[in-house]
Amino acid sequence: MAKTVVLRNVTKKYKLYEDSKEKLLDIVLPKSFGEDFYALQNINFEAAKGDVVGFIGINGSGKSTLSNIIAGIIPPTSGELKINGKTALIAVNAGLNTQLTGRENIELKCLMLGFSQAEIKKLEPHIIEFADLGKFIDQPVKSYSSGMKSRLGFAISVNIDPDILVIDEALSVGDQTFAEKCLDKMNEFKAHGKTIFFISHSISQMKRFCEKALWLEYGKVRDFGLIEEVMPRYEKFLKQYKAMSLEEKRTFREAAIKEQMGQA
Amino acid sequence: MRSVLTVIKEQFQSFYLVRRLSVYEMKSANSNNYLGVLWEIINPMIQIAIYWFVFGFGIFHSAGRGDVELSGELIPYFPWMLSGIVVWFFINQAILQGSKSVYTRIKMISKMSFPMSVIPTFVIFSKLYQHLMLLAVVLVIFQFLGYPINIFYIQLPYFIISTIVFLVALSLITSTISTIVRDFQMLIQSLVRILIYLSPFLWPPYHLQPEIIQIIMKLNPIYYLAEGYRASILGLSWYPVEHWEYTLYFWGITVSLLIFGSILHVKFRDRFVDFL
Repeated sequence: MAKTVVLRNVTKKYKLYEDSKEKLLDIVLPKSFGEDFYALQNINFEAAKGDVVGFIGINGSGKSTLSNIIAGIIPPTSGELKINGKTALIAVNAGLNTQLTGRENIELKCLMLGFSQAEIKKLEPHIIEFADLGKFIDQPVKSYSSGMKSRLGFAISVNIDPDILVIDEALSVGDQTFAEKCLDKMNEFKAHGKTIFFISHSISQMKRFCEKALWLEYGKVRDFGLIEEVMPRYEKFLKQYKAMSLEEKRTFREAAIKEQMGQA
Repeated sequence: MRSVLTVIKEQFQSFYLVRRLSVYEMKSANSNNYLGVLWEIINPMIQIAIYWFVFGFGIFHSAGRGDVELSGELIPYFPWMLSGIVVWFFINQAILQGSKSVYTRIKMISKMSFPMSVIPTFVIFSKLYQHLMLLAVVLVIFQFLGYPINIFYIQLPYFIISTIVFLVALSLITSTISTIVRDFQMLIQSLVRILIYLSPFLWPPYHLQPEIIQIIMKLNPIYYLAEGYRASILGLSWYPVEHWEYTLYFWGITVSLLIFGSILHVKFRDRFVDFL
């Protein structure tokens, strides 16, 4: 199977500064100021055509950072990242220009993704039909509800025909019928052999849709494999985690954070 | 040097993108007003009127210095001011918008594969349309002021292009710095406010004593653009040729800005998102 996404030792480091003076010194001087924080540490995994990979993990484990890196929005600090094909990210707050109308946003987004005028003309009716916004398509986006915005964002992202689709919590807004429509579309993508990354806190949605799972814990891969194998372990961990006393939870988190600061 | 080539290549390869995006930029800037794009003309006109009242009528006329001597000709204050200030509104807007172009739009762009260096360019181009409209209106006014269409107009395209290249080069620097350090935008705002008084837009600096001050003022490349527009519209001289040393100086500065800006931009652009 052709590999579409390969990550080798991908690390994303952020800097934590105590005040703005430190930040400025860090930019200007070659010496390093501020504390390191590893949002992702030595991530290794591969995904092939037709894979549907779910990212699981508790809050702050780096799921969104990883999806942003795969979508090409933020660059990794170090490590090797190979992406074969066009990526599209669907997130709740898809970057839309609220002053412009829905239709203008479609054109603008497609332009930025590098489509020509003729291609946009062809895509536009599909996107409008999928978004199903009725008359609102010619109204400025600032008058949209959050569900309408995410529908528009989703419609644009799926209709540009990406090879790799990253869905970050985008199905949690919008009503049931739209979620069904999206899942149908995603199943269609799956059948076409596209790679899909799926992030959701809904375990049932994960189980229904994903084949593989990548379990992240504080910036590191804890487990990667078939969903039938990983999910029970994750659920067991969640149960344990929930059962921990506040004190235990804190020590667990502190140890993890220490590791993320690169001190362990 | 590699980064300069990268930036220049991106500018030319993405020229279609620049044209399209600048149209949307203009649309979204004016979508809230009933008069829309017309404000881009009305606003400068109101300012021109007040500048004429304060400086022309209030200060120079009442001091008996209503005319300005330039290239051996006596020119009344109003046409003198109008012929230069028409480019100021473009420079002013382009510097301000250009310097905040990257950090206000990076979320919207959100793709590393997007040629980042065209962000300031398309913002500047969206201001160029306004400039061309204003220039057309001003040129019509000049037909009634006794400065009819003349052969020196053919210098105008040269000065329009020079202005664009200068602004793009400058914005590469300012947009990068203000993305990293947001305070820089504040500094730019105050500097631009000063700049109108330090360039020959509102008062003629031709007879300042000691002479060294005139030379220092000429170090400002905007001086060259203002005088160039003026010479073209009023039909005074072949400015770039007659002041060829100054032309060389202007392009020297512009190319240096472009080189420095490209290096800075390319060095930081992968990390722009991290600075948000």
